[in-house]
Amino acid sequence: MDLQLTETQNMFKKVASDFVRAEAPSHVLTQWFLKRETSQIDLYRKAAGLGWSGMVIPEQYGGAAASFTDCAVVFEELGRGPLPGPFFSSGVLGAQLVLEGAAEEQKKSLLPAICSGKSIVVAAITDKGAHWGPESVETRLTRTSGGLVLDGAKRFVFDAEAATHFICAARTESGGIALVLVDRGTPGVSITPQVGYLASVAEVHFDRVQVAGANLLGEIGAGWRILDAALEKAMPILCAYQVGACQEIFDFTAEYTRTRVVFGQPIGRFQRVQDHCVDLSIHLDAARYVTYETLWRLDSGQPAAASSHEAKAVASEAYYQVCNFAHMVFAGPGTDYQHPLMAHSVMAHTLYQYLGTPLQHKRKMMDALYPRANA
Amino acid sequence: MDFSLQTDPPEIAPFRKEVRAWLQENMRGSEHLRWSASWSTRENDEEYRFRRNLAGKLGKKGWLFPMFPVEYGGAGLTFDHQLVLETELDRYGISLNHVFYTLARIVAPVILKWGSEEQKREFLPPMVRGEVSVWQVLTEPQGGSDVANCQTKAIRDGDHYMVTGQKVMVGHHLPPDFLWTLVCTNPSGSRHENLGWLHIPANLPGITIQHMHLMMGIKNVVFFDGVRLPAKYLVGGENNGWRVAHTHLELEHGGEGRVGADPLVERVVEYCREMKVDGKPLIEETNVRDIIADMMIELHAVNLFARRNFWHRFVREPHPYGGAQFRYYQRMVRLRNGERLQQIMGCDALDPDHTVHEVVDFEYVVRSGPGQFHGGGTLDTDRLIFARRVGLGRPTKEKAPETI
Ligand SMILES: Cc1cc2nc3c(=O)[nH]c(=O)nc-3n(C[C@H](O)[C@H](O)[C@H](O)COP(=O)(O)OP(=O)(O)OC[C@H]3O[C@@H](n4cnc5c(N)ncnc54)[C@H](O)[C@@H]3O)c2cc1C
Repeated sequence: MDLQLTETQNMFKKVASDFVRAEAPSHVLTQWFLKRETSQIDLYRKAAGLGWSGMVIPEQYGGAAASFTDCAVVFEELGRGPLPGPFFSSGVLGAQLVLEGAAEEQKKSLLPAICSGKSIVVAAITDKGAHWGPESVETRLTRTSGGLVLDGAKRFVFDAEAATHFICAARTESGGIALVLVDRGTPGVSITPQVGYLASVAEVHFDRVQVAGANLLGEIGAGWRILDAALEKAMPILCAYQVGACQEIFDFTAEYTRTRVVFGQPIGRFQRVQDHCVDLSIHLDAARYVTYETLWRLDSGQPAAASSHEAKAVASEAYYQVCNFAHMVFAGPGTDYQHPLMAHSVMAHTLYQYLGTPLQHKRKMMDALYPRANA
Repeated sequence: MDFSLQTDPPEIAPFRKEVRAWLQENMRGSEHLRWSASWSTRENDEEYRFRRNLAGKLGKKGWLFPMFPVEYGGAGLTFDHQLVLETELDRYGISLNHVFYTLARIVAPVILKWGSEEQKREFLPPMVRGEVSVWQVLTEPQGGSDVANCQTKAIRDGDHYMVTGQKVMVGHHLPPDFLWTLVCTNPSGSRHENLGWLHIPANLPGITIQHMHLMMGIKNVVFFDGVRLPAKYLVGGENNGWRVAHTHLELEHGGEGRVGADPLVERVVEYCREMKVDGKPLIEETNVRDIIADMMIELHAVNLFARRNFWHRFVREPHPYGGAQFRYYQRMVRLRNGERLQQIMGCDALDPDHTVHEVVDFEYVVRSGPGQFHGGGTLDTDRLIFARRVGLGRPTKEKAPETI
């Protein structure tokens, strides 16, 4: 047993931490969230230059062939921001979908561009907001004399505004799900940013979009299986981002309990405030250890499906609850959009939903561990 | 016991008929309006004009404060009349407390209790008739929860006070007519004995108001820079502000009660009937039904607590700990409901819907979980007050102040 980071990982951590501090200090980042300028494409491309896009992708495709834990260490620092931008959606999930689903030729043409940051490839999976799962894939892919036609609308596509391409899940005539790569500039594709208690989310319309047969990723009918395989590996990296966010909130909240004086004493002396911090820390550390254990499983080639779903459930819930407890400690000032907690609060609500709610992942965890008799 | 809100004594029945007909007439033209919550970012001009106008009309009849004496702008009616007005207005999704955005519901009772006869005759009628907007201006950047640690100073200078200081997180997006404010009137006096309560006309020179953008909408910073305020605006007497604060805070801290129920569950059920996943409406899903059941049961208890507090208030027997208990529970339930909505309807819970009243807009409900923890004191002060009122760990129980 060894629960330390390696020397290299500590170095990754330091570089990432310096990057976030220099490029997105809290007061700058707060303004991005306030003005809804969370795509941050230039910053993303700059970071891709450091090898943070496609970090776990093999070198032959332009990646850094890093371990999952290496990559997670970087994402933990990004989460501290919370640094917005398609770091995870394209640099991890987009890349992993191509790696899992695409033919060799496609990998060779797509992956280097994703790793360099030139292409930003974002998954557009479910049509409905209410449910995550194959049942919610309704956009249709039909074969016509002129080729494939994609028709439908995806609500709540995370990082859609930053995308150069979408990997769209679609229902085919046979009822199976297929993944197709769609250039954002194709006629019929339109993007409408969504407002509300969320960040970096848009509705993407595919209005009778012509798609070349060569843009299918994997076989028709294999779409959800490819997605599941990619998610198993990608999600723990997102969890690390959430862990970093929780850690940052814990740190600045603990600091506030030392400096904020009410009723003549630092608020950290009130047992009630201590209680909020204890609860906060439990969510943080549960998320941290479940996440890193899952990453270890992936890195050592062990089965990780159940762990990965567990981690997504725990880390999403943790980020959300950590924000709630921090709100209790900061009280009024923490609800001001100028306060660093607010970017986290908005991001925590968004990631709670992104790729399915904790409830849905708990179910997937159970199904992975104890398959249903009739499944 | 009788839990019904509609079994009127025989002599009241005609009043209900009168109110119902009056509302039918006077709510006309509002059918397409969607009420924003008590203060928010989404209200539009048309809605504001309608609500302000309605308040004026209700106020003219004394119906905004039906139990207030006629000479102060009320209608001099009874508890039963109050209940009729509350319930009839509730049918339109409006509460008598929040016909438009003013804190009169709390301020007027406090003036009735603490004001001099002259002050009552001057300050109350415009407020009770819904003609002026009043902000509650208590919180300071330093003091926070410790409201008595007041740095805003009002120093007596002949027949005036000179007011200097700063308040934060107060009011809403539209300018006020009066600022209802706790100040320090005697900087060398001992804690709680050094305070005064002021009813400050908002148009006096030296007052500057700046918007703050909070999670729940717009609040403000108010600066008082050497404001010269005639001494007649001091309510409750010299250095008596803390006792006035007691009455004020009891009402603010949940003691005022409410009869209207939270309509959230109905809207959730409506959504779940319409929304189909895999061809099946969500309302058919067992786990969705389980979640809605919890939501419903907790909101029902919140509603009963609110009704209990309402009853205790108007029969003039303030409930010892009801206010703080209600507020703490209501806010925790709101937080849990935000999470429940996110579980039931996924991302839809984060997407605002302007076609419904704001109180049943799922995004608003989710946001107001963490966003509404702190208004009028935090969860922690609620629990602190509860402990004092019940006498936890102390031989004496702090008494609930009498409100009106
Ligand atoms: C939506 C909203 C609306 C508001 N509207 C108004 C308004 O109209 N008028 C107005 O005057 N103010 C208003 N406020 C301000 C509100 O009253 C204050 O936020 C509240 O009193 C807490 O003060 P604070 O935010 O400075 O928190 P702090 O006092 O700094 O509290 C920080 C932390 O310390 C804890 N704490 C403090 N004292 C104790 C104690 N004795 N025991 C245990 N824990 C303690 C708190 O619970 C919290 O966790 C509003 C605030 C919000 C968020």
